[in-house]
Amino acid sequence: MQLNSLAFRLFATTVAWTFIVLPLAGVLIYALYRNDTVASHDRRLGLLLTVLQSDSIDNGGDVPGTSNDVGEPLFSVSQSGWYWQIKPLENKPGRRLISESLADDIYPLPSELNVDPGDDEKRWATVIGPASQTLRVVEVMHVFGQGAEAQRYSISVAGTLAEVERSLGSFRARLLQALTLAGFGLIAVTLFQVRFGLQPLRAIEKNLSAIRTGDAQRLDGKVPAEIAPLQAELNALLKSNQEIVERARTQVGNLAHALKTPIAVLVNEARDDKSAFGGKVIEQTELMRDQVTHYLNRARMAANVGVIGRATDVKVVGEALARTLQRIYKEKRLDISVDCPDGLRFKGERQDLEEMLGNLMDNACKWSIATVRLTARPLADTTPARLELLVEDDGPGLTDEQLAAPVQRGRRLDETQPGSGLGHSIVADLTSANAGTFERGKSDLGGLKVRLILPLAAA
Amino acid sequence: MRALVVEDDKDLNRQLVRALTDAGFAVDSAADGEEGFFLGETEPYDIVILDIGLPKMDGLSVLEQWRRQEKKMPVILLTARDRWSDKVAGMDSGADDYLAKPFHMEELLARIRAQVRRASGHAKSEIECGPLRLDTKTARVTLDGQPIKLTSHEYRLIAYLLHHNGRVVSRTELVEHLYEQDFDRDSNTIEVFIGRLRKKIPPEMIITIRGLGYRLSPGGDAA
Repeated sequence: MQLNSLAFRLFATTVAWTFIVLPLAGVLIYALYRNDTVASHDRRLGLLLTVLQSDSIDNGGDVPGTSNDVGEPLFSVSQSGWYWQIKPLENKPGRRLISESLADDIYPLPSELNVDPGDDEKRWATVIGPASQTLRVVEVMHVFGQGAEAQRYSISVAGTLAEVERSLGSFRARLLQALTLAGFGLIAVTLFQVRFGLQPLRAIEKNLSAIRTGDAQRLDGKVPAEIAPLQAELNALLKSNQEIVERARTQVGNLAHALKTPIAVLVNEARDDKSAFGGKVIEQTELMRDQVTHYLNRARMAANVGVIGRATDVKVVGEALARTLQRIYKEKRLDISVDCPDGLRFKGERQDLEEMLGNLMDNACKWSIATVRLTARPLADTTPARLELLVEDDGPGLTDEQLAAPVQRGRRLDETQPGSGLGHSIVADLTSANAGTFERGKSDLGGLKVRLILPLAAA
Repeated sequence: MRALVVEDDKDLNRQLVRALTDAGFAVDSAADGEEGFFLGETEPYDIVILDIGLPKMDGLSVLEQWRRQEKKMPVILLTARDRWSDKVAGMDSGADDYLAKPFHMEELLARIRAQVRRASGHAKSEIECGPLRLDTKTARVTLDGQPIKLTSHEYRLIAYLLHHNGRVVSRTELVEHLYEQDFDRDSNTIEVFIGRLRKKIPPEMIITIRGLGYRLSPGGDAA
């Protein structure tokens, strides 16, 4: 998973959320549970205090008395953590009563710690009692006797918090386990969610890649409702791109038509005029013809450069050209062969490949005696992948000097065959526009060999 | 030889008609696809020069329809659209050759002659019949190496017979292939031209096959 990715963003957000929310939830749950547990403990103490108070009143008179049975057996067990005591206040003499569990020990009273009473006159405090036990103490004041004999007594009950702490500790551990498990569970679910949720995007990525390599023309397939508008927009963009290119091509075609017919008329008209003026018109119109051809080719190339998603089957184009040339050069009874593996594809425009191969094969047909050969092969171990195209003939070929000379526009190496001399220059321009290379050499057939290296489309 | 020019640009159309007429062809012309199609469908042309970008009906459609009707005359496509895809489409539609504008009239004429020769089964640019020789490149007829002076109609007649030498050519066929569509055709004029030709070449070379027509023979063998 890359840092700068939607998957990472979704995952990181969920993980962060998990690490913030789960601990907070844990703290909150624990606090609520603790409050509830302590409140329950306090309710028990309050109940015992009420029982003790009633018992002391019922069994006493002017002084407190007790039946020593206030409903909690632990009051009889020494240092059980459960104690009660009734003691006179204000250092006045009086009867002091304590639970058997307290023996000779004492525990501090909330009133001694200056704790104010609540609405129900009860005072609550957490204190350290016998054997360093943490005790929760509830205390209430009661006056025994009347008149001068009246005496205020403190009646208190203490209960150890050790049980509460044990219960809270156990709850804490279980809560932690549960939340940890929930955290990991959430992360796992998020991972799955991210992978599952982003699957349509990966499908779109795959489709776009297919468009780029020329395997598809548009984004197809059923996508979720959220992605459907994106798919529709991308398809509209692709269509618009194709239409722009088509329009550009049509305009170039129209321009060609608009210019070339008048030039043809001028050339033919001027040929009938044998004066110097006629000669000049011919010379200039020939120049115009070459320029128009050259720049229209450039315009076509410009319209094609950067067009995505084009791959062209080399064999189909090669065979169509061979068929056409066979008819054009019917009289020469040429053997035009195409040796190309099935499925070999040029990564680029069909028209570009047709122009390159068409010009080269046409040239080869013009010069050949009997044989023209087109060989196409994928090149091994090239990055990016490349293919090799060889167009060879058994004609006179070129001299070493001619082969060494750079390809020049309009420069014809032989004037005895018809043509504008633009063929190799167009091919060289097109090869370069398609990030390829153009080389001329000698063929083992005896004539010229032209070698093109061009981008290979994925199979 | 009859030729049809289908070209919408009237200047180019005129130039083509003139060049073909000068080259010895009886030429009809059309300025749109529909008219061109009709002429090609109803008249027996020896060659058709067909522009692709035509009003009313484009050149490729015209050609495809002709081929569907089994019209086998050679057709040279003429177009400003010179991409190889256009050439492939043109040839696949049934064209015999393809020439991109602007072009040299000489090149077009050379291709026209080559197509006409090819259609009548001659591989070389020179057609011979005994001492008689037609150089299709220069439209020159020689007898024993000496040029013969011919009028345009005489040239058309001897050229047609030479292209089809060895087979009987009927008068109707000659009329159909030697005159333009609008010409006042009279088959008797053929006899007049045959008579004139017999004065310029050994008369026994043109054999009259009674009731059928004429045959050109190198040695003038009996009918």
